[in-house]
Amino acid sequence: MHREVIRLSALFILMLLVQVLICNHIALFNVAVPIVFIYFIIRLPMNIGNGLLFTLSFLMGLCVDICSDTPGVNALACTLLSALRKPVFFAYVPRDDKTKNIIPSMSTLGVATYCKYLISMVGIYCLLAFTIEYFNFADVKDIVILSACSCLLTFLILLAIDCLIINRE
Amino acid sequence: MFAFYVLLSCVLLFSHSAYQQSVYLTSANYVTSSLYKASSNVTGYFHLKGINESLQASNARLENEVLNLRHQLSECMTLLPDSGKFMFESQRFGYIPATVVNNSVRHPRNYFSINRGERDGVKTGMGVVDQNGVAGIVNVTGENTSRVISLLNETQHLSVKIKDTNYIGSLNWRGGDPMVAYMDEVPRHAKFNAGDTVVTSGYSTTFPENIPVGTIMNRIKGRDDNFYILKIKLNSDFKALSTVRVIKDEYKPQLDSLKNFDLPSDK
Repeated sequence: MHREVIRLSALFILMLLVQVLICNHIALFNVAVPIVFIYFIIRLPMNIGNGLLFTLSFLMGLCVDICSDTPGVNALACTLLSALRKPVFFAYVPRDDKTKNIIPSMSTLGVATYCKYLISMVGIYCLLAFTIEYFNFADVKDIVILSACSCLLTFLILLAIDCLIINRE
Repeated sequence: MFAFYVLLSCVLLFSHSAYQQSVYLTSANYVTSSLYKASSNVTGYFHLKGINESLQASNARLENEVLNLRHQLSECMTLLPDSGKFMFESQRFGYIPATVVNNSVRHPRNYFSINRGERDGVKTGMGVVDQNGVAGIVNVTGENTSRVISLLNETQHLSVKIKDTNYIGSLNWRGGDPMVAYMDEVPRHAKFNAGDTVVTSGYSTTFPENIPVGTIMNRIKGRDDNFYILKIKLNSDFKALSTVRVIKDEYKPQLDSLKNFDLPSDK
């Protein structure tokens, strides 16, 4: 239990620092922005209570918002993503006793299933975050381009992080 | 629980009140600014070559200007010996040098943070310039840090004019390219050429007159046939913003007090 709390706390702080100190300053070709802090939400265990899940997700988004001067954008997007996490996960994984307590990763789900889960979560988040931030239907084209490019870049970076973790294990 | 967090996020997102201006909810708070200061101690070295070149160009331009002004002053003194007394008027604008510790250019509403705050005399509403021109306006002040609304913020409108012709317009950034903004409300009869300089109009206490903002690229079609919209190439490189100056207007308290002065009504 203590080990899990330490792991989650370390992941929370690490992802927050990587996002605000490095990723926030990257905008590849002005359209692709890496959003790596959602890795924390993606990697939360599936048996975590809804209350704790929403609280942790909201706090992660709020911390990024405070550091990036985007009040409410990431907090709202993270809370919505956390609500969609279980439906997305069980769209690719059968709902049984074994999968109920799983921590989503490449080794527990297999490469193909994990990639599908990862790109769905990243895609949903990018679409949510950019829609909330722009909040103008005149910018639909920009929102779609930003979301698609950012989703691809974030997916590749998170996949690279997963590969590093697997190699270390 | 879910509804509560969604509601709380919406309050933060849509309330343009004290919440958004609170120092604790912006990058000007103590923890975030300390983090950014530590980070900028490392990353501050990355753009030094470009900044150095830009400073040298600015220095050369200022030296030329000093030489020209000295020449003009000596001519004035010869022609009108008592004209020198105008030079000793109290200086209206003062500058507080600062370093940018955090910056963003990719959002529709961008802000940057500087390492000077209330303790250094920085106040909300003060203008911020870098060596190339206008950078932004101070929005939230902490004790040792401040958050500045970047010129690259869709909500920001700056009163500007075309340098030699003095036609006034309103400058606004519309997202996308961080080097391009738009000057609205330029009258149809205004004369201008591509490459003309756009400067601050001086119609506020935020910026003195004639601070460079950018150069005219071309004219684009506007919604209103009576006005032109000009595409402006901004002078400041917001991606490499490093050292800036906060402008302090010594006349601001007096001018602000005049706003509260009501003329007596005729009875």
